[in-house]
Amino acid sequence: MQSVTQLIPDLLCVSDLKKHFGGVKALDGVDLNVRQGEVHALVGENGAGKSTLIKVLTGIHMPTDGQISFAGKPFDAGSPHASKDVGIQVVHQEFNLLEHLSIAENISIEDLPTSRWGLLNRTEMRSRAVVAIAAVGLDGVNVNRPVSSLGIAHRQLIEIARSLQSDSKLLILDEPTATLTEREKVKLFKIIQNVKEQGVSVLFVSHHLDEVFQICDRVTVFRNGKTVITQDIDQTSPSEVVSHMVGRHVDHTDASAAQAVPFGPIALRTKELKTIANRSEQGVSIAVQSGEILGIAGLVGAGRTEFLRAIFAADKSNGGTVYIKEKQVKFRGPRDAIDAGIGFVTEDRKDEGLILQMPISMNISMVNLKKLFRTGLIRHFAEHHQAVKYGDNLQMKYGKTADAAASLSGGNQQKIVLAKWLASKPAVLLLDEPTRGVDVGAKFEIYGILRALAAEGVAMIVVSSELPELMTLSDRIAVMADHKISGVLTRSEYSEERILQLAYGQTVEQRVAQ
Amino acid sequence: MSDTTVTPTKTITVQGLLQSTGIGLALFLLIVFFSLSSEHFLTSGNISNILTQITINLILGVGMTFVILIGGIDLSVGSVLAFSSVVAGKVMTMTGLGDGTVIVFAVMAGLGTGMLCGLMNGAISAWWGLPSFIITLGMLNIARGGALHVAEARTIYSFPYAFEEFGSISFFGIPILFLLALLLVLLAWLILNFTVFGRMVYGIGNNEEAVRLAGHNVFRYKVGAFAICGTCAGLGALAYMARLNIASPIAGIAFELDAIAAVIIGGTSLAGGRGSVIGTLMGAFIIGVLANGLILMGLNDFMRQMITGLVIIVAVIVDYYRAKYANV
Repeated sequence: MQSVTQLIPDLLCVSDLKKHFGGVKALDGVDLNVRQGEVHALVGENGAGKSTLIKVLTGIHMPTDGQISFAGKPFDAGSPHASKDVGIQVVHQEFNLLEHLSIAENISIEDLPTSRWGLLNRTEMRSRAVVAIAAVGLDGVNVNRPVSSLGIAHRQLIEIARSLQSDSKLLILDEPTATLTEREKVKLFKIIQNVKEQGVSVLFVSHHLDEVFQICDRVTVFRNGKTVITQDIDQTSPSEVVSHMVGRHVDHTDASAAQAVPFGPIALRTKELKTIANRSEQGVSIAVQSGEILGIAGLVGAGRTEFLRAIFAADKSNGGTVYIKEKQVKFRGPRDAIDAGIGFVTEDRKDEGLILQMPISMNISMVNLKKLFRTGLIRHFAEHHQAVKYGDNLQMKYGKTADAAASLSGGNQQKIVLAKWLASKPAVLLLDEPTRGVDVGAKFEIYGILRALAAEGVAMIVVSSELPELMTLSDRIAVMADHKISGVLTRSEYSEERILQLAYGQTVEQRVAQ
Repeated sequence: MSDTTVTPTKTITVQGLLQSTGIGLALFLLIVFFSLSSEHFLTSGNISNILTQITINLILGVGMTFVILIGGIDLSVGSVLAFSSVVAGKVMTMTGLGDGTVIVFAVMAGLGTGMLCGLMNGAISAWWGLPSFIITLGMLNIARGGALHVAEARTIYSFPYAFEEFGSISFFGIPILFLLALLLVLLAWLILNFTVFGRMVYGIGNNEEAVRLAGHNVFRYKVGAFAICGTCAGLGALAYMARLNIASPIAGIAFELDAIAAVIIGGTSLAGGRGSVIGTLMGAFIIGVLANGLILMGLNDFMRQMITGLVIIVAVIVDYYRAKYANV
């Protein structure tokens, strides 16, 4: 075995690669070797350099220093075309689909089939698309539908289907499961297995170690822009990998410590709140007390995000009432909700949470700007000060407060979003997928921050697709299925199985009947 | 997470230098070039001439900067200038009131007309989320037609003596109208950098949804930006009247294009969210200096126009690279 692997040269060899952005060393000498036909995991905390490496491999960034060779030849990552030509395909964390074009057009966009006269061959394009999406398990979906009509999980699968179209030697998957449900994940892993059997190498970038251990052959750990170690999966363990990632032992009990102070009065209650997308008759009724963290579990499309957006009046609601401190309120828009003491950490950092090109300090003052500067005149120094304060509180890693938010890693960007809402001193904080695209270390830091907030009496509603996260964080978990609450579990009743049963719409009565 | 703190490093790079001084440097080189090629260029008479020529474009450019920063565009400012000027001109030539009163009313009428047109542009495009390109194209026609109608397609003249006199005042060869335009630039700079309104203008241009979810009234800020642009067109109308002592319904044709050019050459992104009014000042200067200098060099006006067009294209290409290096 050992001798065989040595005979075939590694497909991708990255050695001592450096990429500096001004003073920030995003990559500070990383090494990575990917063998022919293996599934290789790349893990590391936020800002460890995973995304930067991918951007160098795909020609988006020029490396500062170091060597890359691909298939035995020196590889000069000059342009996205160059990497595509040698056979590197990437499925990005951010989608690269053309929303208003059809599924079929998106699938074939890199190499559109043409007829003899140079016209688009739609028949061929459609039949290709049908095959391609069947390969990712989306059989039966009409390929003429525009991508904009699809949910986020299906878009991810379309993106994967597209990258499988071209002849690729190395498939890079950047956080492919972030938006997928359990069922779709299983599908994806099957796809990866197939691809691997065809001799294609897969670089699998993920924050989910269970997935890494399920499908990968080897794992490389990055920390602070350097390679820590590369190990065979069967010779390591998740806890060992985590300790390599963070450089210390992570204490899982930190965040799940039992409630320190008794809950206060009810901070927010909804009564039969129906969202714009609501299909059910009764709407959602829940209550959360001061100092309590209420988790909301459910499958993609169960209406969790819509529910939070309806509370916050980000979207119009379809009937129902919201009570703050047991007083009925009627919000005309987000401003009213904020004035009533609600904060909303949205699901999508890039499109809703941050103004990426603006400095960190300006992002943090975005919500409380008018309170901070009642005269309408901005004092930049006070703004900088506020940013430093929250940056320290949340252990944010940044260069200057005047740097653009875009210059930070995912986890630190998420901390900016948190800081922005904390600066408005909310009594109720709504959080939608608060740790999406955030690595293990930063995740636990965020849990710690939320726990501390709860201890200060902030009521929180957390929507998350990660069950372990909800079970660590929440004092209670409400499970939603098809825009309804299908069950509420207290801490002693938590189990993944139970939550999933409820999420799939099996109510307690149904189970009893069985 | 490790405790490494990233220390802010101050390194001066060619790129950084170009970013901060790019347009100013270009303007400086242009001035040096024309000074060397024509002895008439750096005379006080000619400088005064240039300042007079760029004043109206600068005023319109300041307003346009706000609209472009929120990701919009205003094609109507040239027509709105004409409309405002004839409305103000009508008021100013009314008989039976004192000169002072008439001038005050006329100024208010001119600014008011401009602001109203801007408000309409902003309200319609923001309320229905329609592209301002189309809405202001409509306004371009409405205002031009309105101007011709109000003025009965005639030029209005014989304003009060005090008003005509005011337009020709200058200090050490610097026309007062240019000084007022400079004051406007300063005001706009203060608004954009030190007020909540200015912050929101940048915010909306970058990410409207994030601004809305942060609890701000996006509609109001958008309308505000257009209203400022319209008011600047009204101000431009008054400057036009003070300088030429007429109000004409066919004034300001294609002025919007020069204003947009000044903003873009000044490095403000047409996509919104990035740029500054100081850039617009530089942009207006570059257009003015180029026009003046090329004619002094003996080129005809057609050649001048071609070269100005070329500069706009080069400016956008330069801006492309600037954005590319700014966003890593």
